Amino acid sequence: MANPESAGQFEQLVLTAILSLKDDAYGVTIHSKVAELVRPKSTSLGAVYVTLDRLEDKGFVRSRLSDPTPERGGRAKRCYQLEALGERALQESAVTAKRVWDVISEAWGRDWGKRFGKEGAR
Amino acid sequence: MEPGPSTAAEFIAGILIPPACREEVLGDLHERFQSPAQYAFDAMYTIPFVILSRVRRTSDPQVVLMQAFGLYLAFLGAAWFLDGDLLHTQWGLLALAIPAGAIVVGIMLEDAYARPGRRSGYGLARGPAFGVALAFLTQMKDLALPRMVLLCGCGLGLLLSCAVRMLFPPASNQMLGVNAPAYWLERSGGEMPPVLIRILQGIAAVFSIGAAGAWIADRAALPLPQVVGVLALFAAVFALLRRS
Repeated sequence: MANPESAGQFEQLVLTAILSLKDDAYGVTIHSKVAELVRPKSTSLGAVYVTLDRLEDKGFVRSRLSDPTPERGGRAKRCYQLEALGERALQESAVTAKRVWDVISEAWGRDWGKRFGKEGAR
Repeated sequence: MEPGPSTAAEFIAGILIPPACREEVLGDLHERFQSPAQYAFDAMYTIPFVILSRVRRTSDPQVVLMQAFGLYLAFLGAAWFLDGDLLHTQWGLLALAIPAGAIVVGIMLEDAYARPGRRSGYGLARGPAFGVALAFLTQMKDLALPRMVLLCGCGLGLLLSCAVRMLFPPASNQMLGVNAPAYWLERSGGEMPPVLIRILQGIAAVFSIGAAGAWIADRAALPLPQVVGVLALFAAVFALLRRS
């Protein structure tokens, strides 16, 4: 069983998307942001929903229904917000990722990061 | 007029999406609409995930296992009493598992599609009833059970599932973490009166003592009334100690 205190890789991506979207974090925008983060790989909206539910169960995020809007056919959005636990999990993940990045940069040289960044952006 | 999916497409998607998340998922699909084909594709790839996620949230694995075991025993018992030869055929035991599995799937799906909130005691019987309907549909040619075995197994299974669901009502939002708000852990089933719980416990105790006594008496070649009497005495002492 997954440790409720830690976040998996896809969960980290979804948490990052919610963090960056602030008050505008709901299914469609979170999916777009995650798709941007995992480029060139693709991701489905369904996978984002499953992860959001799991994050809510773990107490990492909370959700609320917003007012209905006409561009959504008069339906409400479910907006997500980070909880303190989610922020802490994201911080831990970021620290670990930074350590991994430092070790790799040390082994393959600082330029590797720049080279990979350019290749990834292409 | 704003471009959007057809009413029929939204209606079909709306039926397939569990009510607890219908509003936001339909809204998201509407917002992403580009063409009818894209909408159909999007819905096809999204809705199964939504259903699975809802099933995960509304099903308690321990209760599901308990129900699956009980249902299989119900069909096994029915086959043993009504058609003992079935148990010795090549696929006999597997054929018994198919309707039991169908009932479990039916219960899980009904829980996923139930509206969130408290449910009445009668509402808890909807899942097993839907499961029994599914069990009848799964009767294939080669693995079909004899009609009487199927009827008795379904009847027993229906009673058993209803009893299990009354004792362990389905959770409307199942928690995984330990940091969840306490109200999420509230069960959505109807409250059972304490007297009814005691009656059910009493019936279960009598059956357990009878079955255990018969088994011990048979194995150890002891008189049945004495064995049952001793077991009943043990049970009474245990109940008294627990209460004190």
